[in-house]
Amino acid sequence: MDFFERQEKARRNTKLLVVYFVTGVALLILVVYLVVAIVFTASGLRHRGRHYNYYNNDTQIEAAQHSLWNPRLFLGVALGTLAVIGIGSAFKTMELAQGGSAVSSMMGGRLLSPNSTDLDERKLLNVVEEMALASGVAVPPVYVMDSEQGINAFAAGHTTSDATITVTRGCMKLLTRDELQGVIAHEFSHVLNGDMRLNLRLLGAIFGILCLAVIGRILLQARGGNSRDRNALPLLGLALLVIGYVGVFFGHLIQAAVSRQREFLADASAVQFTRNPLGITGALKKIGGLGEMGSRVSAAHSEEVSHMFFGNGLATPLFGLLATHPPLEERIRAIDPAFDGNFPHTRYAPEEESPYQIAEAAIPARRTAMPPLVPVAMAAAMSNLGTPNTAHLHYAVELRNSFPPALKDAAREAMGASALVYGLLLSTDPAMRETQLRLLAQNTSDAIRQETQRLLPVVDPVATNAKLPLVDLAVPGLRQLSPAQYLQFSKATQALIEADGEVDLFEYVLQKIVLRNLDTQFSGARKVVVQFYALTPLAPDCSVLLSALAHVSSEDPAQCQAAFQQGARILSAAARAPMTYVTSEQCNLSQVDTALNRLNQTVPQIKKTVLNACVQVVAADGVIQEMEAELLRAIADALDCPMPPFLQPQQQAMAANA
Amino acid sequence: MTGLGLGLMILLGGLIILFFVVMFVIGAYNRLVALRNRYKNAYAQIDVQLKRRYDLIPNLVETAKGYIKHERETLENVTKARNIAYTAAQTAAANPGDANAMKSLGSAETGLAGTLSRLMMVSESYPDLKANQNMMQLTEELTSTENKISFARQAYNDSVMTYNTQREVFPANLIANNFNFAAAELFVVDKPEEKAAPKVQF
Repeated sequence: MDFFERQEKARRNTKLLVVYFVTGVALLILVVYLVVAIVFTASGLRHRGRHYNYYNNDTQIEAAQHSLWNPRLFLGVALGTLAVIGIGSAFKTMELAQGGSAVSSMMGGRLLSPNSTDLDERKLLNVVEEMALASGVAVPPVYVMDSEQGINAFAAGHTTSDATITVTRGCMKLLTRDELQGVIAHEFSHVLNGDMRLNLRLLGAIFGILCLAVIGRILLQARGGNSRDRNALPLLGLALLVIGYVGVFFGHLIQAAVSRQREFLADASAVQFTRNPLGITGALKKIGGLGEMGSRVSAAHSEEVSHMFFGNGLATPLFGLLATHPPLEERIRAIDPAFDGNFPHTRYAPEEESPYQIAEAAIPARRTAMPPLVPVAMAAAMSNLGTPNTAHLHYAVELRNSFPPALKDAAREAMGASALVYGLLLSTDPAMRETQLRLLAQNTSDAIRQETQRLLPVVDPVATNAKLPLVDLAVPGLRQLSPAQYLQFSKATQALIEADGEVDLFEYVLQKIVLRNLDTQFSGARKVVVQFYALTPLAPDCSVLLSALAHVSSEDPAQCQAAFQQGARILSAAARAPMTYVTSEQCNLSQVDTALNRLNQTVPQIKKTVLNACVQVVAADGVIQEMEAELLRAIADALDCPMPPFLQPQQQAMAANA
Repeated sequence: MTGLGLGLMILLGGLIILFFVVMFVIGAYNRLVALRNRYKNAYAQIDVQLKRRYDLIPNLVETAKGYIKHERETLENVTKARNIAYTAAQTAAANPGDANAMKSLGSAETGLAGTLSRLMMVSESYPDLKANQNMMQLTEELTSTENKISFARQAYNDSVMTYNTQREVFPANLIANNFNFAAAELFVVDKPEEKAAPKVQF
């Protein structure tokens, strides 16, 4: 199963969920109607019998028959139930639409400062940074639930750009670096496999049904009122309470069944990622070793997010039928069949030094410049997509260590991170650079221009293939900007890019990555709605994208056209429409931007075809240059398909031996 | 039966309105919490930079000591002001946004900035000190850190303003008052050079 299939499967699951949910709601309405009809008929008849006992029996029977199917009553009940569930779901969805950070703070998470100096926090942040670089996504915000002593973690958010990672205090303090890496890799797999959107839908739906039960409880307590309804209200309340909780129960049942499947997948992906089964099994064993506390999370909302956890966050009644996670033993055995079922006792104590940590410390701060101009085996480009492996992780660790400390420090706070991005956008031409710096001072302030210039000596030597990772590292720092500062920042980057007045695709995608990841914070989560299920209406957009890529690939017009044809062949066949090669004026940045935005609104399989065609274009001359490789990664990122860094064959081999 | 149906409709209508109100209260409450977390987090960003600056200053004083012969009290004043500001920052970090803590931090920072600019002025008359590699590096780092502090301070003040506005507008203010969301204080530092032209005395 490749990345696109996993994404597709998550989407299918989501759809299936909607079907379940609609059926469930219809059933709920029916049951609520029946209860209301029975309760009200019964109480109505009793009242009527008391007051109008001179009526003859026939009328009573007629009334009873009437009331069991009363269209107006049914309409009222249906609308009422729908309204409650609808408003409840909409409310929860809206709350969650702010992205992962909303969920994380709802759970009582404390946002870790990207430049924290606390040892444990630093370790956690470093592990997350490495994972992000290895999978080619921006570094997500990290939260810690300080009051939770168990070992657990979860990822939340709609897409990779608004994802957050939250861990418990126990997770941060008790696990070694390797185990932490296993847990974080597990969470990253959830992010990459598209599980989070599924989770958020589930949260909304279950909350809607829960609202029914809440209203039932209110009714149950609302005694009194007028004499006519005195008996009926608490009864109705009780019925709603029961129906609501039965609904929630079945909701959880669906949730648990879906969740357990995804957990095995995430465990397997995590092992594939770190190639270190000891990490994740170690973490699972420690959960077992903690005994009662285990992976328990006691935060008020933990039931709502239970299916997103690393381990079971709740007690599991009903013989594990409602368990959101497979049993620990089963999960450990799935990775390590030799597990004897004994959990070592875990205590809060000073942790032992992990060998990994020593290995990392031993790597000296090396050159920033990675070997230039590498031909990359193109087969690797597509198969690695969304499936980072150990080689990528090693590469990421090494790359991160190769950045001078000044650069890493700058990336971690707001002003330094913005200066860093400005620095990356500056031209190599001295005259143009002068103009850009002037523009920068105009758009921002003198202090920022100074800071940018101060960073230039460390930013300039950054190799092409390290620029994108550097931007990914800078995102947490940029998240610290205030909305006003962000506005200024986006204006300034725009000005810097447009300063030279020519198409620089790389600058453009670099800016796009930054803004895309930050927009979720400053203007709410981007909800990408799938609007295209076929490639045909997107043929012009594909033409623009492929042409723009072709223009970058070579100086020679004939070769550009040939490169374009390589990709166009694939897409023409898929779209059943011809692709037209357009001149560079007809594929300027704003047109590429429109095209990319539209292409992002497609199903995963179409994205796969498009990205495949892009690879063909840049590889038309037999090699993928470093710049082209980064361009590809940036485009893939803009399409929400994170592409791990490109590795040379010898790096792959080295990592495999390590 | 029609009467019953109508009564039920009214009941359901009332419930839905009640529901809206409850949802609104929860939403407004959550928003206030989120905004409060945001400004606290923004303060954490200042705090890191402040600490860095407090670490730099003793080095600066130590370097300058070797050169400055006459106005020794300038150096002592810097150290004193640094220590006051350090304590104030620790109090503020424990409770960011607290009116007293932020005000005393503001005035301590103003004092520190004053003594530092005085030190810079004094060092003008010691060319050897100005040419010292270490001194140059420290001054450079100090300027950069100060820029970062004022940048982070701007972000903090922006988020405090958003939070304060949110807790004052109707009807969110009802929730803010009932759930004890206290007003947060801005972090204001008066820049001495903006207030008056420096007087140079020897």
